[in-house]
Amino acid sequence: MSDLIFDVRNVTLRFGGVVSLNDVSLHQGRGEILAVIGPNGAGKTSLFNSLTGLYRPQEGVITFQGRDGVPLSIIGKKAHRVSAAGVARTFQASRMFSALTTFENVKIGAESHRGIGVLGAMVRGPRTRRGEHESDQRTLDLLAFVGLQEKANVVSASLSYGDRRRLEIARGLATNPQVLLLDEPAAGTNPAEKIQLTELIRRVRDERGVSILLIEHDMKLVMALAERLYVLNFGSVIAEGTPDEIRANPAVIEAYLGSAEQTEDRA
Amino acid sequence: MITWWRQPWIRRLMTSLAVVAVVELMTGPSGSFAAPTTGLIGSYNERVSVYGLFVGRRWMVFLVLALAFFGVWSAWLRGGPRMRAALRASTASPRDVASRRPVRWGFYVVLLVVAGFLPHLVNDPYWQSVLVEQIAVFVLLALGLNVVVGFAGLLDLGFVAFYAIGAYTTAWVTGALPTPAPFDVHLNPFWAIPVAIVFVMVAGILLGTPTLRLRGDYLAIVTLGFGEIITIFANNLYGITGGSYGSGGTTGSHPIPHFSIALGPIHYRWTLAPVPYYYLTLVFVVLFIIGFSLLEHSRIGRAWTAIREDEVAAESVGINPLKYKVMAFAIGAASAGFAGVVTASQSNFIFPATFTLQLSINVLVLVIFGGMGSIPGVVAGAVVIQTVSMYLIHTPPAGFQESDLYMYIGALLIVTMIFRPAGLIPSRRRRREIVLSEAGESHADEVLTGDVA
Repeated sequence: MSDLIFDVRNVTLRFGGVVSLNDVSLHQGRGEILAVIGPNGAGKTSLFNSLTGLYRPQEGVITFQGRDGVPLSIIGKKAHRVSAAGVARTFQASRMFSALTTFENVKIGAESHRGIGVLGAMVRGPRTRRGEHESDQRTLDLLAFVGLQEKANVVSASLSYGDRRRLEIARGLATNPQVLLLDEPAAGTNPAEKIQLTELIRRVRDERGVSILLIEHDMKLVMALAERLYVLNFGSVIAEGTPDEIRANPAVIEAYLGSAEQTEDRA
Repeated sequence: MITWWRQPWIRRLMTSLAVVAVVELMTGPSGSFAAPTTGLIGSYNERVSVYGLFVGRRWMVFLVLALAFFGVWSAWLRGGPRMRAALRASTASPRDVASRRPVRWGFYVVLLVVAGFLPHLVNDPYWQSVLVEQIAVFVLLALGLNVVVGFAGLLDLGFVAFYAIGAYTTAWVTGALPTPAPFDVHLNPFWAIPVAIVFVMVAGILLGTPTLRLRGDYLAIVTLGFGEIITIFANNLYGITGGSYGSGGTTGSHPIPHFSIALGPIHYRWTLAPVPYYYLTLVFVVLFIIGFSLLEHSRIGRAWTAIREDEVAAESVGINPLKYKVMAFAIGAASAGFAGVVTASQSNFIFPATFTLQLSINVLVLVIFGGMGSIPGVVAGAVVIQTVSMYLIHTPPAGFQESDLYMYIGALLIVTMIFRPAGLIPSRRRRREIVLSEAGESHADEVLTGDVA
């Protein structure tokens, strides 16, 4: 199984007496669009935070395999190290640098992994300028990719919810990741934006070769995008399978979707 | 029917009386045990001084002030919205006016020329020394603290530590401390500049690495402690620093020398005269301004902004917050270190009593008043506040006592914050942040339209 990008084994995360993730195991193949669903409080965002180095689970192993093929153990690594290894993410409530422009937001992602030279930054020699130029090109390219080139110089706080999601995706892609973790990308977007977003996420995988790990409540979007799903409930994985298998899984319907009729409505 | 004492105007009147009473008591002479209320009735000294003219009628003054305060307050409430709009318009940011680059460059050149002629324009020994000791040095300190507080968003209440380290390093390498200078070579203060800057930057890294893991209030308290520790070291390590006597307080030590140049045919010696020091400092102020503004607009500046705005998001896009924060500490310390060199060399002697918490707070006030994160802002802030302070001390108006200085500066700061919350010349990013937090993001559209090119 050398083509796994994420291999999560028996991860348990506790906050005092509260068990947020309980013996969670899951894996993601390279190039896969994987979704994690589950009711509120099931531990989805905790899982994301553990995968990106923001939380430190007490037990278990998380292995990430970057482009160089060297496995990296995530637990205990700082978030910026995880980002440098090739894991990018978006946040449930968009976390942009609100007072900066769209362009600046993405550029920060594009240049964050370059070395820092104080003197270089002050003197602006040829190397610095070349670096700046590359970052600018990369930023423009990504803004065009997500369709925000018209809004490059707009202060990001004034973007609509849908545009904020695209901005976060562009900023994540700017760090040149292997996998992009999307935490409820469709929250707060309107139906038209949802369709565009679905298309954009698929293009991220197809055109950029970036694997996608997705948390989402919008079943329509999940079922349309995900190739495989995990269902979390009370911090444990209760089911795993293709969208069709999950739809038919009685445990999932019981825990998450409530009843069969509702499934039909939401799907 | 509201009870009489709950009527708004009664409350306003009572508050006015209370505020003016507090002000009267605070600005009055110190009371004595026998007459703790001399603040209200006047002391013997007051009766024989110019200010004493008021003393007999001080109660009347008090009432008039209270009523005036009440009147302005009531008028403000009545005509408020319109007056506020007018005030905002009249205090609109100069940046809006001069936002085109060529205009701004021209403006800066004019400023520099004015700064160059300033010592001859003021042409007064008091003001010339104020220019160096109180304005140029504080501009340097404010520029440095602005990197820490304004760019990186870290509240540092012990900034004086770096100033002190710069000054003491100068004293050390020029052989003015009881401790022998390294290698027994007494350096010209010019050589002390790089040494002092390296020392303060190392101090910044040493202090920053463990403490910058803390956030907000905790960091402020730890830096406060660091500032105090440095002062106490200077005070207590008699055999090394000369203790409270300062440099030159012990036998065998000599004054910290002035700067001097001996470069081929060029020979020049700085003396106690302030004007040559002014030009030397001006050159470095300009260098620091250029360096810091290049940093602000480099990827380091953007990373600082990202950390300031959302540390978690910044970390998730690959920025190492600790590294950049330590960098801000070290870089900000550099200009304070240089300010220390100038102070040490110009005054020949240094004392721990110079490096107080008061000074740290004073510098912070300059930064907040001028506009956090805005280089033109903090320079303007330092110039304005220091000039006002020194003017008040030099030519005190009736009733002004030097010990009350910071009360008036505090009042000035509060008023400024009401009308210009982002400071005198706000930085664009900071102003947006404040506008955003006030309006809530949902209104950001209307608020920000037209703000960005």
